[in-house]
Amino acid sequence: MTFLEKQTDPTSPMHWRGDMQADYMYTSGVAGDRFFQNLKKRGTFLATRCPECKKVLFPPRLYCEDCFVEIPDKGWFEVPARGTIRSYTVVALDARGDKLPKPKVIALIDIEKTDGALLGIINTRNLDSDLTGKKVKAVLKPKTKREGTLKDILYFE
Amino acid sequence: MAKKEAYPKYAPGTHVSTKDIVNKKIAYTWWEPEVQYSWSLGPAMSRFLIELKNGKIVGRKCNTCRRVIVPPRMFCEHCFGPTDEWVTLKDTGTVETYSISYLDADARRIKDPILIGVISIDGAAPLHGFMHYFGDMKPEDLHIGMKVKAVWKPEKEREGAITDIKYFAPLKKKGGRKK
Repeated sequence: MTFLEKQTDPTSPMHWRGDMQADYMYTSGVAGDRFFQNLKKRGTFLATRCPECKKVLFPPRLYCEDCFVEIPDKGWFEVPARGTIRSYTVVALDARGDKLPKPKVIALIDIEKTDGALLGIINTRNLDSDLTGKKVKAVLKPKTKREGTLKDILYFE
Repeated sequence: MAKKEAYPKYAPGTHVSTKDIVNKKIAYTWWEPEVQYSWSLGPAMSRFLIELKNGKIVGRKCNTCRRVIVPPRMFCEHCFGPTDEWVTLKDTGTVETYSISYLDADARRIKDPILIGVISIDGAAPLHGFMHYFGDMKPEDLHIGMKVKAVWKPEKEREGAITDIKYFAPLKKKGGRKK
């Protein structure tokens, strides 16, 4: 009888384990490329200013997202790699749900002189106090080790 | 990156070549997400795979419909009743349908095609079966209705997977090579 048949041998293959390949490559695009090449070579941030509404887009964009105006080359400028913490989360577990040896602080940082923000890791030992509004600056990898990705920013402190 | 003027008018945008990526001329992020799964096989599929490890193909018989189902199911999809008994089947069968693929799993062009198809196993109900590779034959010899026989992996290499059968080869006529 079907309903009474039971598998009692735990070594029998009751599960099929598999691994799906889902590798991907995400190119940064024209504006993103310029931002990352600049980060790699000069260690600073780039932003773009919309000629129409004067909004400072960060991360830089080729088009203003509010007025759909193309941003000219002179709309690009350097901004300091500094900012203010708008919001943050203290992360105690990794992506698999295992406990991290040391909690990580991930924050949204309003970048100085721009209207945009960037997600980053905050290097702090003081987890008890409120970090919102704290001024932080980016700590980059040494120039030779930079690859032109967001990981070139080690953390903010 | 190519100059902007070089783009054809019908395809505006920035063209990126493999060279740009290999030489790291453009900024990009490469990510390999871990996508692991564990599929619960249930009693029928579990037994099927265990028996494949032993070098046997097993099916389930539905006494109501008098048909043998392979790969086995605990329920008959015709009468919705539970199936009744295990049946050991031969490792021979008939090609039900097939494909000749000149593309590999990554859609790259290949010279030697991959031959795959559905095999209805001898002793089981006709017009159903399972998919597998074909081998020891030329692509042009493969046809519907062809008699085939499983070529098994050596016993030590079997692991309880459908790939314990390497492929299905043409069945030799009597007087020829047997197993």
